[in-house]
Amino acid sequence: MISREWLLTDQPGSRRQARYGQAFRTWLSLRSNRLAMVGFWIIAALIGIAIFAPWIAPYDPVVGGDLRLDRLIGPSWDHLMGTDDQARDIFSRVVYGARLTLLVVALVAVIATPIGLAVGTTAGYFGGWVDVVLMRITDIFLAFPRLILALAFASALGPGIENAIIAIAITSWPPYARLARAETLTIRETDYINAIRLQGASSPRIIWGHVVPLCLSSVIVRVTLDMAGIILTAAGLGFLGLGAQPPQPEWGAMIAAGRRFIIDFWWVATMPGIAIFIVSLGFNLLGDGLRDALDPKGRK
Amino acid sequence: MNLIEISNLDVTFGSFANTVAAVRDVSFNVAAGEAFGIVGESGSGKSTVLRAICGLAPVTGGTIRIDGQPLKTPRDAGFYRRVQMVFQDPYASLHPRHTVDRVLAEPLAIHGFANAETRIEQALADVGLGHGFRFRYPHQLSGGQRQRVAIARALILEPKILLLDEPTSALDASIQAEVLNLLDRLRSERGLTYILVSHDLAVVAHMCERLLVMQHGRTVEELTRAELQGRRAQQPYTRALLVASQGYVGQTPTLEKA
Repeated sequence: MISREWLLTDQPGSRRQARYGQAFRTWLSLRSNRLAMVGFWIIAALIGIAIFAPWIAPYDPVVGGDLRLDRLIGPSWDHLMGTDDQARDIFSRVVYGARLTLLVVALVAVIATPIGLAVGTTAGYFGGWVDVVLMRITDIFLAFPRLILALAFASALGPGIENAIIAIAITSWPPYARLARAETLTIRETDYINAIRLQGASSPRIIWGHVVPLCLSSVIVRVTLDMAGIILTAAGLGFLGLGAQPPQPEWGAMIAAGRRFIIDFWWVATMPGIAIFIVSLGFNLLGDGLRDALDPKGRK
Repeated sequence: MNLIEISNLDVTFGSFANTVAAVRDVSFNVAAGEAFGIVGESGSGKSTVLRAICGLAPVTGGTIRIDGQPLKTPRDAGFYRRVQMVFQDPYASLHPRHTVDRVLAEPLAIHGFANAETRIEQALADVGLGHGFRFRYPHQLSGGQRQRVAIARALILEPKILLLDEPTSALDASIQAEVLNLLDRLRSERGLTYILVSHDLAVVAHMCERLLVMQHGRTVEELTRAELQGRRAQQPYTRALLVASQGYVGQTPTLEKA
């Protein structure tokens, strides 16, 4: 029943068909962008690796091999990315680390995006003193160096990857609020918002049903582009001992651990570094492609 | 009995030093079932009058009464069920992410109308759009189709008064005629009262029994359709508009004797 013709019809017969058709058109426009598809497949691979980690990883990520014989072995067919100072297979740790990376990315997106959207659209829509109060609070959060604020939150909440995620989320919403507010200011005075106002819609209904859907795409793009920074902040917190706790195979913490012997055993820090690089690149390429595909003004 | 009474309306934008008086001391009455036109050049304040009526522009002086009752600020739900507006640019007045179905269903949901399903189908049929248009997005519609959707949206709450802000100026000539005929038909079928704002005298002469000419936010004069068609305008500005509405008439070159 779901065929290309059904999705692309000019005369959809139901709400569901109209929505699927719209999503399919976005997908088609994303698919025509080759670089965005590279990013898409990198992220898809990351998700696949995270799900199937136990089947992909050849060794245990936490318990190492023989400490006398297997420590700091260079990359070989037995250990694709070598082993670290605890005789653990780095490839297995990188594979399991994909789970932590996805967890960080997903939770930060789920926590920070709604806060930023809610604050930004509310401030932009109402204007006046609501705008002043909300935006000054945003400014206060923006004025702190992000890592320092995350550090304070992480130390207040206690060490651990979950608390690091909450700390990052709390510090990363202000740019989304600013972005959403700027978008809202241009949307607020348009005729379609006036039209729904004239139909007696309440402010929450207008903000949620009419303003947020239009801000969402640019905020999603911004969140995607920020993902690289978020992964690095999580790594930074891990490095300072407030993020992932050993022996969790978190990529940033792995780099921090490899720092001590980076000259002699380069692969210990390099392999998770390459993983962070590829995933960050993937998110950036995808974000760039999404910007073009989701732009409601650019599409005819 | 006048349905809409506007007396000494002032609309001033801005505050302190930089204020713009968009509308100054404008008064007119519209009877129930009448079509009333407001004509003027760009920036004459004609659209602002409509926006002031529906609460989108601040009323800084004078009164607006509907059915003899002064309007409350902010307007209440009852007002929106009696008065609706059609905007000038159909490309800007429909939400780019909402289907026609959603556009029509939302006002029904807000005001708690029953049997939304049949009302939506009926509203589309009334403006000459078939079922095939119901689940389309605005970018899948032409300008004329969009304006029909906008008219359907305005009429779905069954208002008595329709404010039309240059409803055809963004459309090309053949579509203009279609939309004007549609508006004419709907008015006679439902006994609607129109206030039509336009810069096009021909449109106003076609649609309206009476009209108000505005310039620089002030009233120039009020005319009936017969006066307009007989070109019996008192004010020089109105006469200039009448000449302009004939289109460009080139001076016939006279051959000078050499």
